[in-house]
Amino acid sequence: MTDHWQYLLLMAACLLVTLPLEFALRARVYRRPLRLLAALLPTVALFTVWDVIGILRGHWSYSRRFTTGILLGPVPLEELVFFVVVPICGLLTYEAVGTVLSLARRAAARRERSRIDA
Amino acid sequence: MPEYTLFTVAAVVLVVAAELFWLRTGIFRTAQYWVSIAIVFGFQVLVDGWLTKLSAPIVAYAPGRYLGVRFPWDIPIEDFGFGFAMVTLTVLLWHRLGRQEER
Repeated sequence: MTDHWQYLLLMAACLLVTLPLEFALRARVYRRPLRLLAALLPTVALFTVWDVIGILRGHWSYSRRFTTGILLGPVPLEELVFFVVVPICGLLTYEAVGTVLSLARRAAARRERSRIDA
Repeated sequence: MPEYTLFTVAAVVLVVAAELFWLRTGIFRTAQYWVSIAIVFGFQVLVDGWLTKLSAPIVAYAPGRYLGVRFPWDIPIEDFGFGFAMVTLTVLLWHRLGRQEER
């Protein structure tokens, strides 16, 4: 029974693990919903097209055991969720790394100033 | 070249070309981007490794449609090009939209 949720649960875990980046590392991705939506739409559209081609041409297939069985045309619901979740995780990572790097740069600049003052 | 391999190479080339000749965000010259993509690859190994593991695959790949090289674990190496193209395109668009936001 829970087997069918495996792929979706994996996606939920990705969102859960990256959620702290939004707050603790000030990623501010979810807090800019329009920009997020605008960045996601072309990616989701293009990679869904690729997925449809991949499925129809037999490049890959999905386990019936580990997916819900909900299909949108030939595409499992899980794949659409994947094309939303993974880019969001990527953006959270990118913005969080940006926060850490700018904090590090500011700290280095402060050290440099205090060295010159001394 | 197998089709999935071909599509992956094309996707990577197209995304890189979109940045160099059209979007020109400059992210390829930043530490922020390369550190991020390294972290993303690290987590891709975990998530994709789970999706593609041959003992209980969620996604199955047809022989002959990819190179057949699976590394690390059972991940078809093409998947890393797929992931790179998807995440890089999103970051490019996000960056570009941010610039417009600031104007």
